[in-house]
Parts: sequence; C-alpha cells; structure tokens
Amino acid sequence: MTVQATDEDIRERASIDRSMRFPVLFFFTSAAAWLFVATILGFFSALKLRVPGLWEECQFLGYGRVFPMHMIALVYGWALQAGIGVMLWLMARLTRRELKYGMGVVVIGHVWNALVAVAVICIWSGFGRSIPLLDFPGWMAPLFAMVYMAMVVWVIPMFKTRREASIYISEYYLVGAALWFPWVFITAGILISKEAAPTMAAGAGSWFVSNLIYFWMAPIALAVAYYIVPKIADRPIYSYGWAKMGFWILALFAGWTGFQRYYGGPYPAWIPAVSGAAVVFVLLAVVATISNLAMTLRGKTKLWEISPSLRFTAMGMFFFAVYACLSAVSIIPMVQPALQFSFFLSGLDVLAIYGFFSMTVFGAMYFIVPRITGCEWPSAASIRNHFWYSTYGIITLIVCLLIAGLAQGGNLSRPNIPFSTSFMNSTCWVVGACIAWLLIAVSNLWFFYQLALMFVGKGRKSEGPTLIHGGHDNAEGAAGTA
Amino acid sequence: MSTHHFWKLIGGLAICFALPWTFLIMGPYFSEASTKPVPYSEKDEVEGLAAYPERSTLRYGSSDYGAKIYAAEGCAYCHTQMVRPTYAGPDMWRDGWGGRDAEGLSRETRPEDYFGESFAYLGYQRLGQDLSNVGHRITTREAMHRHLYDPKSFDGDSGMPKYLHLYEKDKVTGEYVPTAKAEALVDYLMSRKKDAKIPEADKRNG
Repeated sequence: MTVQATDEDIRERASIDRSMRFPVLFFFTSAAAWLFVATILGFFSALKLRVPGLWEECQFLGYGRVFPMHMIALVYGWALQAGIGVMLWLMARLTRRELKYGMGVVVIGHVWNALVAVAVICIWSGFGRSIPLLDFPGWMAPLFAMVYMAMVVWVIPMFKTRREASIYISEYYLVGAALWFPWVFITAGILISKEAAPTMAAGAGSWFVSNLIYFWMAPIALAVAYYIVPKIADRPIYSYGWAKMGFWILALFAGWTGFQRYYGGPYPAWIPAVSGAAVVFVLLAVVATISNLAMTLRGKTKLWEISPSLRFTAMGMFFFAVYACLSAVSIIPMVQPALQFSFFLSGLDVLAIYGFFSMTVFGAMYFIVPRITGCEWPSAASIRNHFWYSTYGIITLIVCLLIAGLAQGGNLSRPNIPFSTSFMNSTCWVVGACIAWLLIAVSNLWFFYQLALMFVGKGRKSEGPTLIHGGHDNAEGAAGTA
Repeated sequence: MSTHHFWKLIGGLAICFALPWTFLIMGPYFSEASTKPVPYSEKDEVEGLAAYPERSTLRYGSSDYGAKIYAAEGCAYCHTQMVRPTYAGPDMWRDGWGGRDAEGLSRETRPEDYFGESFAYLGYQRLGQDLSNVGHRITTREAMHRHLYDPKSFDGDSGMPKYLHLYEKDKVTGEYVPTAKAEALVDYLMSRKKDAKIPEADKRNG
C-alpha cells in the first residue's frame, strides 16, 4: 500500500475510474435520493407513534404502512444501492480490472430503482406483508433477487481474473457479501412463499434481517474500513493475521444469528439459544477487527481533523463496536425478557443500518466520488455539517430509542402495571426520535445537494482534495493520488 | 491468482454459510412442515375436538382474507402473537394472554398453534397487546369491531389509532358499518385462540 505509485499505475487507475464513473455515480445519487425519502418517512413514522390519532381518517398514513415503507426505502433504496456502488468500485480498484458493460449495469440499476418504487407504493396502497424488510408482495422477491444478481455478478469475474498476486482482506469481505446475500434472500423468500411451516417462515424472516446486517452490511463496511484506514494513514494494516481471523470468525458464526429476536418463541428451545451464542461469538470478530483498525491508526489520530473519508469511516466503525456490544448485552437472560419486543431492538436496527453501515459508506463516497468525477467536493463546511448533523442525529435517535426501550420493557415485565402504561411511558422518548430524523434529513439534504453538484460536474476544480480543516495540500493530498 | 485459490475461497465461504443454512433453517423448516396432528385420547378429557392441532379451530369464516388485511395494515409491527414461557418473560401473568386462565388452559405458544396459517405473525414490537388469545378475551363481534374503529373507548391511554377506513358511516343513522375487510379482520382476530390442550400422547409435551 505504501509503495510509490508510478505514472503507469496512475494512468491505469484513471482508466479504471473512468469505466466506473457512470454506474457508480448512478448508484450513489439514486441511493442518496432514496435516503432522503427514507429519513422523511422515518420522521413521519416516529411522529405517528407519538401522536397516533394524527390523520387517522387517512389509511395511507397509518404507522403500520409508513414504518415498513421507511424501512424498505432505507434498506433497498439507500443501503443496497450505495453498497453495490462501493462494492463495484472497490473491487475494480483492488483487482485492477475495469468494469465491462458499465452502461448495462446502469440500465439494470434503473430497473432496481423502479422495483423499490413499486415495493414502496405496494405497501402504501395496502399490499404489504408485515414481514420486517420483506414487506413487498411475494411476487416481487424473485425480481429483486434477479436484478440484484445482475448488478453484483460482475464482481466475481473481476476477482477471478485479478491482476494482483495477493488477495487483500477487503476482497474477502466483498466476495463474501456478493455471494452470501442472494443466498440468504432467496432462501427467506422461498420459505416464506411456500407457506408450509408458518413459524419457521417467520424465523427465516428474522434470520434474513440479521444476516442482511452481518453478512452484507458488515462485510461491505469492513471492506471499506480496511481500504480507507491504511490508505489515509499511509501505512499497512497492523496485523494481517488478525484481519483474516476476524473475517473467518464472522463468516463462521454470523449465519447462525437471527432467532435471538424470538427467544422463548414457538421453536425448539435450542434454536434461539444457538443464535444468542452466535451473537456473542460475532462480538469476537468485531473486537479483532476494530482493534486492528485502531492500531493501524495509532499515533495518527490528527488525520481525523483533516480527512472526511477517515472521519466518517471511523465514526461508522465506532458505531459498529457499539452495535455489536449492545446486541450481545440485549441477549443476556436477565434483560432479554424486558428488551425483546421493545424500542431497544428497533433502535439497534437503526444503529446498524444508519449508524454503522451508512456512516462508513459515506466515508467511502467522500473518497470515491472525487476520483471518478475528476473534481473535488464543493465545500468543506457542507461536509462538516453533514457529519455533525448525522452524528448528533443518530446518537439522539439511538439514545432515545434505547431509553424508550428500557422504559417500555421495564413496564412490560411487571404484569401489575396496566399494559397501556408501557406505551405512554415509552413514547415520550419518541419525540427525540422525531427531532433526530429531522436532523438526519437536513444533513442528507446537504449531502444530496453536494453529490448532485458533483454529478453534473459542478464540483471544485482544484489540485488538492477538499479537507475538513486547513489547506488543501497535506496528508490526504499525499494519500489521495494513491 | 490461480483458479485453484479462487475455488478454495469460494468453497470456504460456501461451507461457512451452508452449515447454518442446513441445520438452523432447512432442517427445522422441513421438520415443522411435516408435523402431523396428534389425536386426543380419552385421558385428555377434551370435548368436541379430535386432534391437536385442529385446523377447524384455527381458521374460520374469512379469516384467511383477514390475515391479509392484518398484514397489509401492518398490525404485526405493534402487536405480537407469541406468548413466551415463564423462563423467557412474564407474558403468562398478563390477564388472558396465555389463554383461558380460569379453565387452567393458560400456556405458552407452540409451533403447532400456528398450523394451517400462511405465516406466523410473531411480531416486531409490543406497542399493543399480545393477540395470541385475543379471541378468548374479546368474545363478541360487536366489541371486536369497536376495538377497531374506536379503541380509546376501552382504554383512554391506548396508542392504537382508529381504523376508520375499514368502516363506512351510515348516512341515515350515523353508525359505523363494517366493510368486508373489517368483517374478515374480525374473523381473523376472533380465531386467535392458541391455548388448545396438548394431548398426553404428544411426545414433545415431555
């Protein structure tokens, strides 16, 4: 990583970046647009929780419809598209292969966006299925699977015909994500549509959500972190052994998670127990990975002040550690009964999707977009605003949902307290969630505006990258050409 | 990289995933799908039912269509249908959650209780009451309808919105007249009775 780049290398990278330009920018901008839609829907669903009677004559604004629309827009509109964009670019860079048929990928990307829009409209107009993150009507699932594979399949030939002799750890994660996700998605889709075993179908739905986080979001975010951190710190990762160990621990155990959400549910008792144990083992992978990244950055924390990519990625990794720890805490038998169906667990979902995955992917975007467009981010102030509004927003959201969960769970676990008290005592915290979603919406409006400027080529034309503080010619400038 | 290494990595990734896929998902799935009802014997002292689980008690009227309405309105995001055993939560101490307390039939839910349904709506959050046995708690259709179009008339603190779009207001009397959707949803809710007695012969009962 630290080897000085030759002129030929730079030319080669430029041609790879050119081949990626339209597909990756397309995925990023449409993802950012969906993210904005999702945050607005998130605000409305939180508002509906606080004031259930609001607009109750209108069937299209019920919480039971707005909340799944929000989740679908957030995951399928934003997370999957942004992740695929990052995956394609990183894989091309690491394997030194150009993306063939780039325009074909753009066409398929349009189909994907249309599918997400149809899914959201279906839920809105009353064809939802009440299955978290699989709410769209059953006939859409095979379409989603096919379009996803058509977008991601290019990663495999790139990797197979790679020109570097050694495999970098990010590539393990990317190949893993590309391979595992369709398998999880198709399995859950088929088992649910067969309608042969109702409780295992529900379990497969929960297993899908957990694997979406651990087998798709986590690998992509970690691939980004293993790429960005050494690049910006300008030194190799601290221990390659740890990195590989973290990868294989995640690969071995993440697939067993999912059923801990239905602890005590209608399953053989060993199933949720095994899932709970797997969550704890996954924590090991997280510890190995995060400490490895932290050691890579040791003594260079000043870079946080300068590089937007590093700042977002580091914050994402911090949220990953918090997520993994809280997930492990939430399955301790002492607290699990209270937290199981509370805001605590839905707060954890948001922490994974927005706090950990999205922040890391923002970091990647701040790195990638200047390279493929050939111009720099228009304004450092906007990057700062995006960062702080997002960070404060997500922290407010998580803290409020976690406290709401504790209040709700505490009341639920005392049967002498009337049931509705648990609702009253928890939804006062939802006010905080409303405000947080607004903060996040504002921050993403900034981001989308900047990204749109870059998309139409109105970015800053300059030699050096846009840095958070200070001039344009220090650390990332050196790392930036690489 | 040689093709050999490529396939070794792909194989490793596949094996890591195939283990939970086989043992956590597919195995239990097919085992549940092949569940056969266990007939009641005389010792069980159950009247009117031949076996557990009994399809006829779990679905009636337009309850299948009602399940679709239940899903489309997102009911499962606020209501669970899963009563946990005492080691996993205090659900059984809530009045009527576990079933008919007075007849000693209160218990946690089991996989067989969902027999014949297309999907078990176990739930996401518990913002509303558990509905596993709501058919035993709310016993008349009128009361069930009123729970849907005016939930606050039962509990002023209830966080449930009015589902007015499932009803039509009669222009003459001013009363709410249920649509076919509302009737189906009530059929579904009235069929939520997951406390059938477990036969002695059921091996899994041990």
